[in-house]
Amino acid sequence: MVENRPFGNILAHLILIAGVLVIVFPVYMAFVASTWDPATIANGKLGLLPGPYLVENYSRILFEGTGRTTRAHVDVMLLNSFVSAMIIATGKIAISLISSYAIVYFRFPLRMVAFWLIFLTLMFPVEVRIYPTYKIVADLGLLDTYAGLSVPLIASATATLLFRQFFMTVPDELLEAAKIDAAGPLRFFKDVLLPLSRTNIAALFVILFIYGWNQYLWPLLITTRDDMQTVVIGIKKIVTVQDALTEWQLAMATAILAMLPPVLVVVVMQKLFVKGLVETEK
Amino acid sequence: MASVLLDRVFKTYPGGFTAVKGVSFAVPDGGFCVLVGPSGCGKSTLLRMIAGLETISDGAISIGDRVVNKVEPMDRDIAMVFQNYALYPHMSVYDNMAYGLRNLKTPEPEIRARVSEAAKILELDDDMLKRKPRQLSGGQRQRVAMGRAIVRKPAVFLFDEPLSNLDAKLRVQMRIEIRKLQRRLKTTSIYVTHDQLEAMTLADMLVVMNAGRVEQVGAPLELYERPASVFVAGFLGSPPMNFLDGIVEKPGRVRLTGGGELAYDAAHFGPPLGAEVKAGVRPERVTFSNDGSGLPFALELVEELGLGQLVHGRVAGGDFTVALPASHNAPSGEAQHLAIPADAVHLFDTKTGARL
Repeated sequence: MVENRPFGNILAHLILIAGVLVIVFPVYMAFVASTWDPATIANGKLGLLPGPYLVENYSRILFEGTGRTTRAHVDVMLLNSFVSAMIIATGKIAISLISSYAIVYFRFPLRMVAFWLIFLTLMFPVEVRIYPTYKIVADLGLLDTYAGLSVPLIASATATLLFRQFFMTVPDELLEAAKIDAAGPLRFFKDVLLPLSRTNIAALFVILFIYGWNQYLWPLLITTRDDMQTVVIGIKKIVTVQDALTEWQLAMATAILAMLPPVLVVVVMQKLFVKGLVETEK
Repeated sequence: MASVLLDRVFKTYPGGFTAVKGVSFAVPDGGFCVLVGPSGCGKSTLLRMIAGLETISDGAISIGDRVVNKVEPMDRDIAMVFQNYALYPHMSVYDNMAYGLRNLKTPEPEIRARVSEAAKILELDDDMLKRKPRQLSGGQRQRVAMGRAIVRKPAVFLFDEPLSNLDAKLRVQMRIEIRKLQRRLKTTSIYVTHDQLEAMTLADMLVVMNAGRVEQVGAPLELYERPASVFVAGFLGSPPMNFLDGIVEKPGRVRLTGGGELAYDAAHFGPPLGAEVKAGVRPERVTFSNDGSGLPFALELVEELGLGQLVHGRVAGGDFTVALPASHNAPSGEAQHLAIPADAVHLFDTKTGARL
């Protein structure tokens, strides 16, 4: 349908601009705060323009550490967050691809039981099973390791379900053609199913990377060493101080830095992400 | 090159439904066999059993002189063309055709040679080989699907309603191409269709199936001229054969239940006197008589085909169609009389449907 209604267009744009402002303004304020000194912020004299402390603040959190509460540098935290988010995202995708392949394409005893068990775990988020999971991870000696940060979060019912639904829409004839073309199960998976799931994988990767990046409770529990902290925990620690002025400029600078990798992932994968959500290539 | 032999083949699904009930026939080496029947008659299931995509509940299927009941599809030396083409959507046309060969570890120069040979036969140019299936039209996709089968140089081609997704004009064209291709390659082929016209034109050997059983096997014309049952008689031919119920009164004569008499060739049919029969008459074997003799025909509708005319009406209380060639003028007036030659009449047992 082709419409030409200038008023409607203007209205739509006004609403969109308002929406963008609502989202962007707080981020901008965080950036402004990260360029001032603590006294200005504490006195409520923070204006709308960036201050003169940009280089100082950022170089301090990156190279000197964040001072009183978190001794680690922010770049270490960023690296920790990045590694665990990557392990979580790729691990989740790999495991759910394999498990949904098994559930959709193979007839084995208790297949539906396995499926429903996976489905049931949807109802048990990390928070519910946090104590037993902590116990297991601690007994395995995985506290303060990347494995401990990521492995317990890898099992994913959502991604398994998503791939299952996708695999079920792949026409059976493709499998049959592959069988006649002398492709075994592994070949079919690698040569046909994986390339067809490309956009789905990309969309999931974006979602899961952000999920992993934003983890709070779990890293808080299992990391005690400063050099294993993730950046989300770092921000929290900078903010909570006793008997002193909170160094908001450092907290905001860390927050800005913490925001960049997920934004980068979204921007880079945007095209594939949208494609993965709206269209399937079959 | 191989013959295909089916020996009392059964297919029973886990739910207890039997889709194929004891089918036996043999396709000679290089033959073009068409399985035809209405949907649900088990023809596709049978083809998939030959391909190895369905297990065989009972009986044996042999390709060449090897029983293949337990052989994987890839080891059966077959290639299959699917109804919806089943091309790999993410691969180029070239890769689609090369995929099977690559899996069989064929050396790359040989793959290239075979694909370009197949592409030449199917008139696919180099530019097309680089495209993805979704950038092709239906007819082109069908060609690629056939190319994928050809490059394998299999002993048997299997076609599962390959033309039913194409429009009518393209279907006729591809039908001719498939036939030419098979003549040229001389590869044993088994082709499934529900379109009796496609079946008649393609087959060396026609297998008419109904409800999981084989109704009749033979050359297309033989089946057309001497159908073994009411089902085959009614299935082959368009417009279909007309049927009239009656009782054999004396040798060579049937008294129709709805009134009137019909002569048949007593040399070919020997029904017992007093038997209840179905008399079948092909629409194109009937003409209208000018002198008012013959069976009364109440004209209802004339369809103009260009190539000829179809005259629909009622005879002895049943529907009846007459096909006239273009040179004839359609009769005017409702009340007509039919001239039905005795040798045009087929007799079938009313109860069993078998030819008498």
